[in-house]
Amino acid sequence: MIRTCASYSDDQLRQLLLGNDDGPTGSVDHLAECSNCQARLERLAADAEQWSEIRDSLQLERDFEPGFELPLENNRSRSPNKDRDHWLRHATWTESMAKSLLSPASHPEMLGRIGRYDVERLIGSGGMGVVFKAYDTELNRPVAIKLLAPYLAGSGSARNRFAREARAAAAVVDDHVVPIHNVETGNEQDNGQPFLVMKFIPGGSLQQRIDREGPLELCEILRIGMQAAKGLAAAHAQGLIHRDVKPSNILLDEGVDRALITDFGLARTTDDASLTRSGFHPGTPHYMSPEQVRGEAIDARSDLFGLGCVMYAMCTGHPPFRSETSYAVLRRITDDTPRSICETNALIPEWIERIVMKLLAKSREARYSSAFEVYTLLEKCLAHVQQPTIVPLPVELQQKPQRRLWLPVLAIASIGIALTCGVWWTQPRPVGNADTATVVSTETVSTESVLQWESDLPEMESLRRDFVPVEKKSTKLWDIEPKQ
Amino acid sequence: MLPSPPETRASLIVRLRDVADVAAWDEFMTIYGPLVYRLAIRQGLQAVDAEDVVQQVFIAVAQSVHQWLDRPQPNRFRSWLLTIARNIAIKTLTRRPHGGVGLGGERGWNDLAAPDGDWSSQFDFEYRQEVYRWAAEQVQNTVASNTWKAFQLTHIEGVSIAAAAERLGMSIGNVYIARSRVVNRLRELAKQFEVSQ
Ligand SMILES: [Zn+2]
Repeated sequence: MIRTCASYSDDQLRQLLLGNDDGPTGSVDHLAECSNCQARLERLAADAEQWSEIRDSLQLERDFEPGFELPLENNRSRSPNKDRDHWLRHATWTESMAKSLLSPASHPEMLGRIGRYDVERLIGSGGMGVVFKAYDTELNRPVAIKLLAPYLAGSGSARNRFAREARAAAAVVDDHVVPIHNVETGNEQDNGQPFLVMKFIPGGSLQQRIDREGPLELCEILRIGMQAAKGLAAAHAQGLIHRDVKPSNILLDEGVDRALITDFGLARTTDDASLTRSGFHPGTPHYMSPEQVRGEAIDARSDLFGLGCVMYAMCTGHPPFRSETSYAVLRRITDDTPRSICETNALIPEWIERIVMKLLAKSREARYSSAFEVYTLLEKCLAHVQQPTIVPLPVELQQKPQRRLWLPVLAIASIGIALTCGVWWTQPRPVGNADTATVVSTETVSTESVLQWESDLPEMESLRRDFVPVEKKSTKLWDIEPKQ
Repeated sequence: MLPSPPETRASLIVRLRDVADVAAWDEFMTIYGPLVYRLAIRQGLQAVDAEDVVQQVFIAVAQSVHQWLDRPQPNRFRSWLLTIARNIAIKTLTRRPHGGVGLGGERGWNDLAAPDGDWSSQFDFEYRQEVYRWAAEQVQNTVASNTWKAFQLTHIEGVSIAAAAERLGMSIGNVYIARSRVVNRLRELAKQFEVSQ
């Protein structure tokens, strides 16, 4: 037993241990001198064995080799960190594992069978389950089938939650939410496990597209953002909060340029008592809202934060809050302002940044009030970008005119933008939208619409990239002061 | 402000009883996944098969963790998990016609005969390492960077207290406090995983 010292009692030393990072208020010079206090402080923190266990554990993390011999002959040179990283990277499902959940296949080219569905391949996996592409042999159509992870399948509460998810998600009917066909229970061969049959959406996720292409084009950002907002609005109208809005949960139907929200895996109905519980997932916290991180109650506006993250990722190619570790990411979500989008991608107009930053507001009150509001706003923005000479930018996004610009060149440039967007526009509207744009000549440009453009100086930046020839004709045009 | 402060968290293993507790299972997999995977690799299994073993072990745990918890005097969870993992790994190994990566199927049985002490001390060691590694990640992100560095330099890298104080521009007293504070926090975090049991 170590005797005490008059300068610090054990309790005072404990206070030092638990104190915050600002450090103790008084001088701690005594600690530098007094070996008694040093020893007691150490002992209060952990016993000697723990101190050395900690050192051994973390030292080996840095360098595996020194002094330690694995008891087994093989793999002596194998770094445990390499295995660990490998495992964490591949902690998701492989086809062979997924196969074990299925009945034997009826065709050799199939992975297996469940109920009346021929399962073709594994298309996704997450904390709660796995998703297969399958074929409905009765209705002759491809479907996506979601199964509970096997460790969950045996649990009544997990099954209930799964069924609740299915019921809640099935109630949401919208062009921009992946439709759920039905919920089934497998037969005995399938261990009687419940599974969800959804519409199969060919074309992959928004995450895959961002991985492949990096930042998206302006019109695509607006279109996908708008459609995702509409899907969320439909879910919210049913009292359902998604809770996990992120690019990998937005599917892009390749045929018709339609974005659909999927995976209400974490979704809970708003009257669910467990709503306040944090849906903490170490793997993917990048798109969590600050209130989720803090473990506070969430509401529909938490999904708007997720939508802001998604739009940010479409603009820049990466999520707004990045860091080495999950915890650092979470900390940034609650504490940091993300880096300016326009600084990262000069093709993005400043008003989009304002929309995204408003979605990313730390306080729910400072965000938009509903997904529907965001949907209508983005719809107007898209119309404006497609037909800048006809549709003004929504008033709330306009800023005061700053400098006169050379009108005709602007108009031509605007039409160019409208043309690029017209190609992507697939909402129900008159065919030949692009044609409409082409007939707009410099003569027909009204003063108002040009003033409209004047108010959006950052857009010049994107025009400059897209229309180099225009720039050559008029160097004056670009001679504007950079935005604040 | 970060979610579920470990001090107030029920023991992880108890929470596994609720298999729908996704957060608990995620944490469990983060800690135990690499251990079981490594064990399987060391048995001579290929990566794909080792991943398979990990999944099977988790399924087995999910199915029987409540039985283990309900035992009047449960043995250590880790020993129980180790037994499951070994059995599954060996079963997988011997099921393969060529016993995994070019090792004869007999190799697996030889390993089975290896003294238990080696196995479990190695497993304990790696387990501890996994837990402290995880804990270090949490602590490093929640303390001031100098607090962490004071610990890192003096306790891990063997720099003297005085030298570290000078390097970090801290008083010697504060270096003592910082390193102890980090160790205290690591111990607190590791407690729920019963590393020193
Ligand atoms: Zn003293």
